[in-house]
Order: sequence, then structure tokens, then C-alpha cells
Amino acid sequence: MTPERWQQISRIFKSAILLDNEARSAYVASQCGRDDSLRVEVEKLIDSHGKADADEFMHGVAAEDAAPLLTDDEIGPRHDLLNKGQQFGSYIILDSLGSGGMGEVYLARDTRLDRTVALKVLSPDISQDKRRMQRFHQEARVASSLNQPNILTVFEFGEVDGLTFLATEFIDGETLRDHLHSKRLKVSEIVDISIQVLAALDAAHEARIVHRDIKPENVMLRRRDGVVKVLDFGLAKVTEQKYSTLGHDSDPEAITEFRTAPGVIMGTINYMSPEQAKASEIDERTDVWSMGVIMYEMVTGKLPFRGSTTSHTIVQILEKDPVPLTKLVKAPVELERIVMKAIAKKPVERYQTAKDMLADLRGLQKRLEMEAELEQTSPLVTPDEPGLAAKKKRVLVFAVVGMLLVTAAIFAVNIWRSSRSTGSPSVTTPVVERTLTYWITVQKFKDNNPYQDPFTLAGEINFEAGYRIRVNVRSPQQGYLYILNEGPASGAPEYNIVFPTPSANKGSSLLQPRQMVQIPEKSWLRFDAQQGVEKLWLVFSENALPELDSLKQFASVETGGLITDPLRNKAIKDYLDSQTSKPEVEKGETLTTLKGAGQLLVYAIRLEHH
Amino acid sequence: MAQKPPQHEITQLLAQWREGNQSALDDLYPLVYDELHRLARRYMSRERKGHTLQTTALINEAYVRLVDQKNVPWANRSHFFAISAQIMRRILIDHARRHQYAKRGGGARQVSLDEAATVVLPDQSGELLRLDEALKSLAEMDPRRSQVVELRYFGGLNNEEIAGVLRISENTVTRDWNMARAWLYQQLTGSGAN
Repeated sequence: MTPERWQQISRIFKSAILLDNEARSAYVASQCGRDDSLRVEVEKLIDSHGKADADEFMHGVAAEDAAPLLTDDEIGPRHDLLNKGQQFGSYIILDSLGSGGMGEVYLARDTRLDRTVALKVLSPDISQDKRRMQRFHQEARVASSLNQPNILTVFEFGEVDGLTFLATEFIDGETLRDHLHSKRLKVSEIVDISIQVLAALDAAHEARIVHRDIKPENVMLRRRDGVVKVLDFGLAKVTEQKYSTLGHDSDPEAITEFRTAPGVIMGTINYMSPEQAKASEIDERTDVWSMGVIMYEMVTGKLPFRGSTTSHTIVQILEKDPVPLTKLVKAPVELERIVMKAIAKKPVERYQTAKDMLADLRGLQKRLEMEAELEQTSPLVTPDEPGLAAKKKRVLVFAVVGMLLVTAAIFAVNIWRSSRSTGSPSVTTPVVERTLTYWITVQKFKDNNPYQDPFTLAGEINFEAGYRIRVNVRSPQQGYLYILNEGPASGAPEYNIVFPTPSANKGSSLLQPRQMVQIPEKSWLRFDAQQGVEKLWLVFSENALPELDSLKQFASVETGGLITDPLRNKAIKDYLDSQTSKPEVEKGETLTTLKGAGQLLVYAIRLEHH
Repeated sequence: MAQKPPQHEITQLLAQWREGNQSALDDLYPLVYDELHRLARRYMSRERKGHTLQTTALINEAYVRLVDQKNVPWANRSHFFAISAQIMRRILIDHARRHQYAKRGGGARQVSLDEAATVVLPDQSGELLRLDEALKSLAEMDPRRSQVVELRYFGGLNNEEIAGVLRISENTVTRDWNMARAWLYQQLTGSGAN
């Protein structure tokens, strides 16, 4: 069919399908004139249109229709790189252990040393991939530089017959992920596993290596004795100091290879620290965080931060205070304290080193052992009289917790001191700064009904007409917040007071630290049909502002907070214009941060729509 | 987990492509392909039963992971969606091909009779491959309509979003879709007239 013919058909078709049967035949006939073949083609297409509707042809999306194709990948041709019994360099392949994203893993015998090893062989197409090869090299280099019983030992790294391989010790066991699936762990086991992982991390950190991808999939438990091994240093990073201490030993190539540019998100999202999620500079404390998340999961069976999409999870990691462990399950208070400290949002509030966390966990382990012993040896305990034993136990717990608290207090004071002493010496008077963050929730609407799931944006975009939005505001500081909406007027602007309102924050403009304000509270902001720019003025002040506080009187549901008095609107405009606050605007992945010097921050969010 | 390509790299490639540099697309393609593929498989393995694979959610997630949003004009988002739709098509077609290949016994591991007997699903892979072919013919006659189909069926975009990407009205999107779908149906059911 020629494009011209096609255009001809399409022109008749698009009008015809809007008509009812009778009118349609007449219309098609009139349009086609004596061109019978044209008429036939149009009619066939109209017929197909009806049938396609009835058949629900292409009703959903392709990925849904073809979903089964994505799962049965295994059905496709599988490339076994090596076969059982095959000689591969000095290794003999004993069995296939599975395949991963990078290649195949085999159980093999090292004939030189007569030992069993795990042999990771890269598939040839991956060897062509510079980035992945780099990661493989890195894993080999980093892991073989660490010699610690809880870190998987790397024996050899090399190439045979053009295939790149990595030989490591073979662990007969399961990953912590599988272990978590199969059963509920006891507190003593959780503590034991955590201590071993932290011992591995401590050794790595001593060598200035940050693992960066600590997650249950990368922790192996040996079947025989429960020894824990940390795997996959493929994303590990050598921290800066390493280079200066390495001196002439350092390999400049390796340095550029190991360094990862800020802005690159790596690793599994659920165990990612806030600084990783923000793609900012990271250090050892990021591993402490991931360890905390794993412990939380081991104790409660749930992830502390988990959203329906990656972006939701990131928001949770950055913003949400996790539900305390003891609210979900029965767990020792000390265990809760350790976990919560490990997942403090600010790195400086976390354990500063794996060693510190390790020390606390060892203390807890001792205490648990003592308690268990006490329970066993106490002749007073009979099944009918648990009260006495419990009381006795409690006394002991108090004593130990008391001691730990004292230690923690001393520790905290030291941290405070050291952070003081290392802090910038030039800062003698406190800098007055106002910080406010905001992000936007968008809900699409179709025919006045919500349509698809709402999603969040870090900041403003050019909004579609069908979008309705909510603006979320919060600050780490206490302060007085006022939010005004300025409509897209051509002449003198009119304002609506949207915060505070009688229902929002009980009419008070005083905002507590981290209190979230959502505008509007329950409904959505909608745009009018015309294209234009709405402004949402955020005013955040250390002190109450009488000029704006008086606007509360206009905030009512009936008027939508609209201020109609032109004189008053003029006064507001003059007031806002007179404020010189020009906050710094930092657009993050999930939210926008405003930072203004002084006691007052004034900023207009521009809500453009079309 | 595969290492992520640097976000700024993708962001730059998107910008170059928008400015008309076609070779940027060649570089962009494999990066987005890997990520979308990985996400799709993860989604599928997570919810095996009664799953719905939401393409837009998938693409949104890929977008957040791949694109350095600090330095991107928001218009790039529609471009990202457009290329993602194209790539989702490729991913699914690749899978369909492998599926067909395995069914013909071309794979290293032959499907045994027992296994074959359990496959009672309609021939989705064949259907998808035929659709892909028909869509290619459509693109020769009418590139815009084939793009509408790609964005809606493979990219999971709604009419409003498609209108944004192609800079046409929503009504035009609806009309294009009706026509294209009727024609594709005709091609696939063999009642074709050309």
C-alpha cells in the first residue's frame, strides 16, 4: 500500500467510526465514490476495529501479555562454559554450582594443592565489557588483600584458554538470605552472625576498604560450623587515606579504577545508606548502616525501609524513622538500641566504626550467655513459678544495661568532644540559617477520578492539566511557617492563605522540628484550564510574623483561603517583595532543600502548568 | 548486581540525542536495555502469581536509577520514556525469539515431551513476533502511528503522556491508535487487504 492510499483510508476511517452503522455506510459510500477497492479496504478496517474491540486486542500492555516470556529465560539456550570432568588449567571441574549475572560457578579440584575450590568463570561476552571486568578485577584484588577468617579467601585469579576465572575457597552452606527464608532466627544466633560479619568489616575497614554492598545475599553461612563468610567485594571502595599511606606502593591505575564518582548509585537499594541513596561521599559508616538494616531484618523479619518503588524506598531511607524493633517483636532493649544506632540517618550519630558496634554486640552476647546460664542453673525455677526467676533475671538485666548506659554516655561525651575539637575553628558565633525542604506528590486525574498511583517529585515541573498535586514541607528546625498561593493573575496578584488554616496545625503557624506539613491536607491542588504559573510562597521564620499571622482569619473552607480585599493583597505583595531572602536551592533526588541565611526564609515555588 | 553506568553519562547522552546526535542513541541503548531488563526480571521473580507488570512503574524506576535528575531539564523525561518504550519492545521481542528458538529444539537443552505438555499457554511469543513485523510495515507507511503503538503498547504510556512525547493532541493520539490497532488486527488475523 502506498502512503498516499493509506492516508486516504485513514481520513475516511477516523470519521466513519464515530458514526452509527447506517450513517457510516452512507458516509463511506459518499467518500469513496466509484473507487470500490478503496471502499472495501475502509470497510474491512472498520470491521477489524470492531472485532479488535470485542477481542480486547492489545487491551493491556505488551509486558503483561508477554510476562511469561520473561520468567522462563532458562528455556533459552544455556551456555555451559565448562563440562563436568573437564580439565581447566590445573583444575578439574567436578560440578556446576550455578550461574550468576557474570558467568558460571563450578566446584573444582585444584590438582596442584589437592584442594576443592569454587571457580567463578566469566562468560566471554562479559570479558569484553570493560566495566564488568573492572569489577571482577577489583573483587579479586580487594578480597585477596584481606586475610580474615570471615572473609572469603581468594586463591587465584587468572585466565585459561581465553576464559577469565577466579578461584576461591568453597563454602558448603547457604546465604543469609536463604537462611532467613527457611526459619526464624533466635536472638543469640542473630548476635552471633552479626558479630562475625562485623569482624569481617572491621578487618576491611582497618585496610581502608569499604564494602558498600553488605546485604543478606553477600553473607554465607557454612553448614558444618556456622562460620560466616562475607562475599563480593566487587563494589568495594578503597577510601582516600589508603593512597597516602600506600606511598610508593600504590598503583596509580588502581587508584582511578577503585574510585567511584559521586553521583553513582550502586548496590542494592534496601540496604543502602542515606548517603549512598543521595549519591554523596561515603565511608566506613555506610557499612555500619547496612549491617543495622540486616540486623533489623533478622530480628523482625521485615525491612526497616521499603517502598513500592525504588523512589519510595529512597524517600523512606532519607526520611522515615523506622518502627522500633520492640514494637514489632519481643527483643532485648539493648539489641534495639544497637540496631537503631547503626541506622541513624546521620553518619555522625551512628557507630563510627565497625569495631565500636562489635564491642557493644559482644557485650550483649556475654549478657545473653549469662542469662541463659542463670536460667539453666537456677534450681528455683519450676514451670509453675516463673515469677522469681524472671525477677532475678530482670535485676541482672538492669545492672548490665545500667553499665552499658554509663559506657555509652562516656562514649557519647568523647564523640562530642572529638567532633568539637575537629570542627572548624573559625566558627565562634552560631550561624543563623533557616532550612526548609519540600517535595511534591502528584496524582493524575481523569474525568475527575484519580487515575494511576500517585508519585512524588523532588521539585516542580511543567505540570500537565490533568495533574493534581500536594506540596509537602518540613524542616529540621522549629519555626513559624506561612504558605500563600499566588494565582496566575495578569494584574494585581490575589493571594490565598493555605497554611496555617483552622484545621491544619490547629490554626498555629508554629512548626515543630521534622513536622511535616502537607498542602492541601486532604484534597489536591488543581490547576485551572488556562496555561500559567501559580506561585506557592513559603515563608519560614524563627519568630512569629504578625503581618502574616493576621491572615489566618481568611483561612476557611468556604473561601479556600482567598483574600479578596485589594488593599490587603497589595500589602502582602509589598511585604513579600520587601523580603530579600534568596535561599540556596538544592535539588536532590527526592526533595528540594532551601537554605537561607538569617532568621527568615522566603521562597516561591513556581507551579507551571499547561 | 551489575554495576551502574554513571548517571551523568546517561544524562549527557540523553541531551546529545535530543540535540539530534543519533550515535548517542546507540550508546544509550545498551545502558537502558540492561537496566530495564534487570528490573523486569526482578519484578517477575518477585511476584510470580497474579502479577501485573506495570511498564510505567518499571520505566520510572529505571529513570530514577539511571538519570542524574539534578542536571536534566524535565523534557528529557519524555525522551527517556520514548526510548524506554522502544527498548521494552526489543527486550520482549528478544525473549520471544529465544522462546521460539528453544521450542524448535535449537537450544542446548531440548524441551522434553513432559515439559512441552505443560505449556498450555497460547503462543505468545509467535504472536508478539508477528506483531513486531506488522508494526515495522506500519512504520514504513506511517511512522507516527507506529510510534503511538510503541509508546502505548510497549511503553505503557497513557494517551496524555503520548501526546506529550509526540507533541500532538490527545485526540490525535486516540485516532492514531484506533486506526493502527484496527490495521494490526487485520494483519495478524489474516484478513488483510493489501
